[in-house]
Amino acid sequence: MSIKADVNLDCKGLACPMPIVKTKKAMNDVEDGQILEVQATDKGSIADLKAWSESVGHQYLGTKEEDGVLLHYIRKSGDDLDSEKKFENTITNEEIIDRATNGGIILDVREEAEYAFGHIEGSKSIPMGELEGRLDELDKDQEIYVICRTGTRSDLAAQKLAEKGFTKVVNVLPGMSSWNGDLAKKI
Amino acid sequence: MSNKVAIIASNGGLFDAYKVFNIATAAAATEKEVAIFFTFEGLNLIHKQAMQQLPMPAGKEHFAEGFAKANVPGIPQLVEMAQEMGVKFIGCQMTMDVMGLTKEDFIDGIEVGGAVTFLEFAKDAAPTLTF
Repeated sequence: MSIKADVNLDCKGLACPMPIVKTKKAMNDVEDGQILEVQATDKGSIADLKAWSESVGHQYLGTKEEDGVLLHYIRKSGDDLDSEKKFENTITNEEIIDRATNGGIILDVREEAEYAFGHIEGSKSIPMGELEGRLDELDKDQEIYVICRTGTRSDLAAQKLAEKGFTKVVNVLPGMSSWNGDLAKKI
Repeated sequence: MSNKVAIIASNGGLFDAYKVFNIATAAAATEKEVAIFFTFEGLNLIHKQAMQQLPMPAGKEHFAEGFAKANVPGIPQLVEMAQEMGVKFIGCQMTMDVMGLTKEDFIDGIEVGGAVTFLEFAKDAAPTLTF
């Protein structure tokens, strides 16, 4: 299955250093928080794009291979600003699994590609940007534990849900960046 | 952490050119400030005519096929890309004098300077590489 990306870049057939050079240029057209998919056949690009992302400050999500083509996923400026979190009802990473198995749901509001490369088993994916249009997929009587990478997007999502009449909403902190439990993949 | 990469290019073959320009463009793409000091045979790499047909090491000519197959960009293309990304080229004045060359013999956009010009740039660069 394909993973949703905001911008796709074709680097197939290109040798080092071209995938990196083209990725850098393509990033100019990607907005903060959006996902870039780089299609490459250069096997060195796996290690290179990961190192490049870390060096430049983007979030390398992962790579999958499809018909001999490597598909790399990078989220621009992955380090969300550590802004002030306003939603008061919060819970820690460690506490949610027990609570969620007692009838609650874990709602992962990161981008689909972030979710694909590692999420909590059983959690539901609705990216932050799609939340408002997909509220009918959620149950107002159920406890909803909202999680993202660092707690910033989930804070906004929790506020949005409360605004829309959801009363049993909890923001999970610090989020997936500090998740120590098992991860499920969907690639 | 230093945000500069300093490179000395002192050899004039095709393989040398790839080592220099691949590292330089990759570093520039990683948002490093890059300068290359071209000295002695390294000046070939930015000489208008010489750079078009850089020699392979003797006995290694069969690699030409490999370069084509791997779809490796040509040296002039890499040079253009490096300049576009802001890589600074410094030609060694002393070598140019010895070889009877002037700035006009080289591609546009290069600076000409002596050892101190490079050292000044390289003093807080990490890494500094020599090819």
